[in-house]
Amino acid sequence: MALVGNIRDFGLSDFLYLVDRGYKTGGLHLSHGEETALLFFERGKLVMAARKPEDQHPDLLVRLGILNEAQLAQARASLANRDNGTTLTDVIIEENLAAKEQFQGALQSFTEEAVYGLFGWPEGEFLFEQNQRPAREAPVIPTPISVDHLIMEGVRRIDEWGRIKDRIPSTDMVVRFLDQPGERAKGVKLAAEEWRVFARINGRDTLAEIARKTNLSEFDVCRIVYGFLTAGLVEVMRQPRPLPVKGGATVADPPRVKRSLVNRIINRIKGM
Amino acid sequence: MQTVKMVISGAVNAGKTEFIKAISEIEVVSTERRATDDTKLIKKETTVAMDFGRIAIADDLVLHLFGTPGQKRFDFMWEILSEGMLGLVILVDSTRPETFRETNRIIDFFVSYRDTPYVIAANKQDRPNAWSPDELRLALRQPPHVKVLPCVASDRESVKNVLLELLYVIQERSED
Ligand SMILES: Nc1nc2c(ncn2[C@@H]2O[C@H](COP(=O)(O)OP(=O)(O)OP(=O)(O)O)[C@@H](O)[C@H]2O)c(=O)[nH]1
Ligand SMILES: [Mg+2]
Repeated sequence: MALVGNIRDFGLSDFLYLVDRGYKTGGLHLSHGEETALLFFERGKLVMAARKPEDQHPDLLVRLGILNEAQLAQARASLANRDNGTTLTDVIIEENLAAKEQFQGALQSFTEEAVYGLFGWPEGEFLFEQNQRPAREAPVIPTPISVDHLIMEGVRRIDEWGRIKDRIPSTDMVVRFLDQPGERAKGVKLAAEEWRVFARINGRDTLAEIARKTNLSEFDVCRIVYGFLTAGLVEVMRQPRPLPVKGGATVADPPRVKRSLVNRIINRIKGM
Repeated sequence: MQTVKMVISGAVNAGKTEFIKAISEIEVVSTERRATDDTKLIKKETTVAMDFGRIAIADDLVLHLFGTPGQKRFDFMWEILSEGMLGLVILVDSTRPETFRETNRIIDFFVSYRDTPYVIAANKQDRPNAWSPDELRLALRQPPHVKVLPCVASDRESVKNVLLELLYVIQERSED
């Protein structure tokens, strides 16, 4: 079933996170005024991004200088004789019509730029059609692009407090590393300024303290940490409130309930 | 007579009133009124004070269900409602991603300062284009140990299941 919404309310970076963590395959259709975009994902990774209808066409490979007209014609002719599971990209690689690194590099930069531009949209309807795949002839990337890399770069281009405030309501919050950032942490490339913040994360300092220690503005620190959050590297927490102590237990502890009481409720609801 | 309390919360229109109605033994004393703030753009009638439901467990024990009011200006009620609660159900309208941030704000309010047992009910699963529980978990960034359950609030069996799943979480933390 399709997932629909507006990126004003559920941001593009949130969506990319969902695609990545949910290993989603499908087509994400975006529209904002006159503009549209179509992104395809294969098991959580980006394989194509078109900001214009013609970018879904194989001619794009000629425009990007990956193939010449004759090579494209040859690739299309071979594709016609292949089974349905084979794509134009497969044919180009198998028949060595373009060097794989050059093919990958040119198409990857084009695709990334197309996506980065989308982070500037203040709003836009989205519709994610699950399991929709690009046409066989579409210019898909040989090696799909990992999405967390896109998220970090996209978030670098965000400069509005509003969105950041949603996830980081106050600079009194403490930043700490997630216990299990897992494999993802390896793929993320940080800029110098981001490293400065990254190195200060210790699970005790607040965002305000990190700003002071790094000589960055609070806004910059929040923006950078927002990127880490979105990429799933860290979490932010409120500082534990100093609590009055009552007979050893803090007031914030929920009341301990008796198992027998819970069991009685369970049995009653089961029997309803 | 001992009473215990559970709180049913969630953004405006998530299905809190419907949920409590489906399971309560008494007519829910929900004070539906015309909405006065932004809520009125979404619906004509919203829950002004709160919802209340009751399930008698035995002669000496009653379970009360409190639904939090929808409109923002009643947020002060949350503090009062959450005092001494056994657990919390967070309802989400799975068809409206524009409410996910508000949902996170609510979870944060109830859960960040106290370690309240809670489950998330991905409501309105019967509607086309409902986000699945797995998708909601990612959208709301809930860790794997938090239960995100499919729910149709108008269906009593579904509501029972959500309450039972919450009770199992509470049971794990209870003492002998
Ligand atoms: N299809 C479907 N509709 C539902 C479901 N749950 C609730 N609804 C409908 O959604 C609307 C909102 O439900 P309410 O129970 O009034 O929601 P609420 O959370 O109490 O709303 P407020 O009190 O205004 O915050 C009503 O029209 C319900 O009939 C469900 O599981 N499936
Ligand atoms: Mg209501």
